[in-house]
Amino acid sequence: MTLLEVENVSIGYNTKKGYVKAVEGVSFSLEEGGSLGFVGESGCGKTTIGMALMGLLPPNGSVSEGRILFDGEDTLKMSDEEIRKIRWREMAMIFQAAMNALNPVQRVGNQIAEAILVHDPSIGKEEAMGQVEALFDLVGIPRDRLRDYPHQYSGGMKQRAIIAMALACHPKLIIADEPTTALDVIVQDQILGEIKDLQKEFNLSIIFISHDISIVADMCKDIGVMYAGQLVEFGPREEVFESPAHPYTKALLSSFPTVTGKKSDLIPIPGETPNLVIPPAGCRFCDRCSGPGPSCKTETPEWVETGPGHKTLCCRC
Amino acid sequence: MDKRDESVLEIRDVTKIYKTKGAFFGSSGKDVTALNLISFDIFKGEIFGLVGESGSGKTTVGRLIVGLENVSSGKIFLEGREIIGLRGRARKEFRREVQMIFQDPYQSLNPQRSIYDTVSEPLKIHGMGNASTRKDLARETLHAVGLSPPDDFLFRYPHRLSGGQRQRVAIARAMILNPEFVIADEPTSMLDASISAQIFNILLEMRSRLGVTQMFITHSLAAARYLCDRVAVIYRGNLVELGPAEEVIRNPKHPYTQALLDAVPKFGHDRDARRYGSLLTKARDAEEDVGCVFFPRCAAADEDRCGRKHPNLSPFGDGHLVACFRLEAMHEA
Amino acid sequence: MTTRERYPLLNSFLEGWSIFKQNLLGKIGLTLLIIFALMALCSYIPPWISPMYNPMTGVDPEITSCSAPCLRHWLGTDFMGRDILSQLLAGARIAFMVGISAAVMSIVLGVSIGMTAGYMGKFIDTLLMRLADMIMVMPTLLVVLLLAAVFGQLNIWTIVLIIALFRWPGVSRIIRGQTLSLKQRPFIEAAKVAGASHFRIIFMHIMPNVLPLAFLFMTFRVTSAIITEAALAFLGFGDPGTVSWGMMLQWVWKTGNMFQAPYWLLPPGICISLITLSFYMLGRAMDEVLDPRLRKEDQTD
Repeated sequence: MTLLEVENVSIGYNTKKGYVKAVEGVSFSLEEGGSLGFVGESGCGKTTIGMALMGLLPPNGSVSEGRILFDGEDTLKMSDEEIRKIRWREMAMIFQAAMNALNPVQRVGNQIAEAILVHDPSIGKEEAMGQVEALFDLVGIPRDRLRDYPHQYSGGMKQRAIIAMALACHPKLIIADEPTTALDVIVQDQILGEIKDLQKEFNLSIIFISHDISIVADMCKDIGVMYAGQLVEFGPREEVFESPAHPYTKALLSSFPTVTGKKSDLIPIPGETPNLVIPPAGCRFCDRCSGPGPSCKTETPEWVETGPGHKTLCCRC
Repeated sequence: MDKRDESVLEIRDVTKIYKTKGAFFGSSGKDVTALNLISFDIFKGEIFGLVGESGSGKTTVGRLIVGLENVSSGKIFLEGREIIGLRGRARKEFRREVQMIFQDPYQSLNPQRSIYDTVSEPLKIHGMGNASTRKDLARETLHAVGLSPPDDFLFRYPHRLSGGQRQRVAIARAMILNPEFVIADEPTSMLDASISAQIFNILLEMRSRLGVTQMFITHSLAAARYLCDRVAVIYRGNLVELGPAEEVIRNPKHPYTQALLDAVPKFGHDRDARRYGSLLTKARDAEEDVGCVFFPRCAAADEDRCGRKHPNLSPFGDGHLVACFRLEAMHEA
Repeated sequence: MTTRERYPLLNSFLEGWSIFKQNLLGKIGLTLLIIFALMALCSYIPPWISPMYNPMTGVDPEITSCSAPCLRHWLGTDFMGRDILSQLLAGARIAFMVGISAAVMSIVLGVSIGMTAGYMGKFIDTLLMRLADMIMVMPTLLVVLLLAAVFGQLNIWTIVLIIALFRWPGVSRIIRGQTLSLKQRPFIEAAKVAGASHFRIIFMHIMPNVLPLAFLFMTFRVTSAIITEAALAFLGFGDPGTVSWGMMLQWVWKTGNMFQAPYWLLPPGICISLITLSFYMLGRAMDEVLDPRLRKEDQTD
């Protein structure tokens, strides 16, 4: 059953430099219990999509076109009140640098209990704390740390606390925006494993956002590659990771050093990401592409199917 | 490795202890040992990697070498000369020979000074050249790091440059004096992968074209594999493994190195079929500062030896050194 | 090389000006200040026209008491028959003099002491900051009153000096704080690694980063100096030989004409408010000019 359906969404920000088209024409869908990863570099728009799904765009940002259908209903047409009801109860987010999202002067247990009470005032404080204890067990924080303050937690524990907070109201969908970026690799590995376990246990749907394609390939069944605000490739992870179609995906894959496999030259992508106030006509990757075709600069690329469920936005392919 | 190249840098038994102040005047708080008897050599023309997680002390090693902090004990030699306690002219000379590229490109350039000011400052400090030769040298160096045409960048301010461009400026600043030895402290951890790759290639070029010896501090074994000839793994202030990069990564001998490699996210990451499985799921309770530093998390450790004594880095053939009792036993057997 | 490159100072100035031009607050502030500056300059004109217009000693042969505005006296006369407009113009001159001198002095002191304390740390830091604390808790006005009681009426320059001596601690605390945080920044460490001396680091790296804050503070200092002098004068402890706006307010109050002579009461009061406001606005605009990162048009996302 499709939980989330995003149709041709474009999002922009009003900045002093002009209207930045941060996301353009992105469409995808997510099944219940499914996992989808967005990968791309800074400025590609992946965080913006996550924020838009949660209805958390900053005041100068807005969705200029498209629909976001969550459980069949268009969230863009909902009132603030209705979105607030969905937020956290149905859809929760683990923010980037979430560790700094904990209030330093409040005990961690209380913060999570507060999140629960805000969304369900009918249960009492005691029951809320009981739920927090259960959550701590779930994410692997010892119960005796409930009354500690955030600065007493290690980085990994803070991240687990944030995950606990996201799960507090038993949402159907979790959007995780670079949840492990600030963590060491061993702790990251543990947290990613725990997220996978939680996903299986509760049949959660996950949208995982990261700049690291190997994390996304590890965590998600489907991968979407973003560049300069557009979705340039989409497909099952085996397809995208092993037979990438879009030149950017190929270039991205070859700019990450690896510990396994043959040691090959890292091929950096020359140039810089394009200006999104006045995006280039035609393919946005054109001037950095290693092998542009004759019409790439002028023609808007169309979606091309390159495999089962695998499509790419490219003129040449 | 048969031929013994000459060492550019020798670190001998360097220890760094941070004393934390106690609650009252004069009383001493706990002492934190950031680095414990670190010893290694770096050979001329190589890129040496120092890999560790946060809190391992890897950045401290770099800072001690360039003199931003003082060692608590131990010696450091640059081309045979002791560099601890240098003063006056000798110290200034040292500053010409050893340079550093910092981690955060957004903070390592003075926001109030133009790119030209920043890049040419080392020249001014050491009294080299005049206004026009300095400008020419600045242009040349900016061009060498890929900021072309250099005149486009000379009079800009850092906030107008992207992270990758700023890091190139930082490299230009470090290189303008033609140093013997450059320490790169996590130069790409704040940059995107495709930009990082550009920076890596600049570092490689610095070695191949100018023969600059480098120490590359990183948390990423993958980056170390790509860039470095030899690699040392550091865990909580102790070197646990050292050897040729490809060798250490293909055949890691120390349980910690193995754990790091297990943890790297890989496509098709099958957690249960771990290659090494050297990490305990729950750490042991152990006395602090006694025994092997990795003991509390080591799956293969044995209480008697590992929990009581501290293993030293011992050779296991072909320039590969490991600090582990288990291996010693295996090796002897 | 273009002219702008050849003279970097000129280049900085032109760049700064083009940025300043875009800031509305700055423009308003600057305009007001120019008006006041013109007033200060014009203060030499009325006595030149006729001795009757001298702010201190001018006496209109026909008017010997407080009177309303008329053709000869555009703002009327005070209780002694002196022209109020002349006094107002002279007051502008004094305000600038007092404000700027006191501000500059306290900033120079405050920045030097603050940077030294922050950079050197430890003993010197403690010593200087305790000194600053001691001075900060002393009430300026009371001390001046005491001094006036002991030494008799004070000269205007003495007052300026005292204001400066009492105001530097506030500046130095802020500058010290900034210095402390700057000290840790990687670009300072990079300068050290390149071999820069302490002197070079303090004056070429820390000071430029601290100056924007100092300039901002200077505008506050100017306003506070002007207000302090006005308060002192109003309370009767100013320099009786100088005509300042505060002095004017003292006269209007002491001679009981507060409610009868609005043409005498209002102008100095309004001038004090407006000049402080304009310095403040100028300070905000200067902030943007001096700190490259605050410049609106250049902000990258």
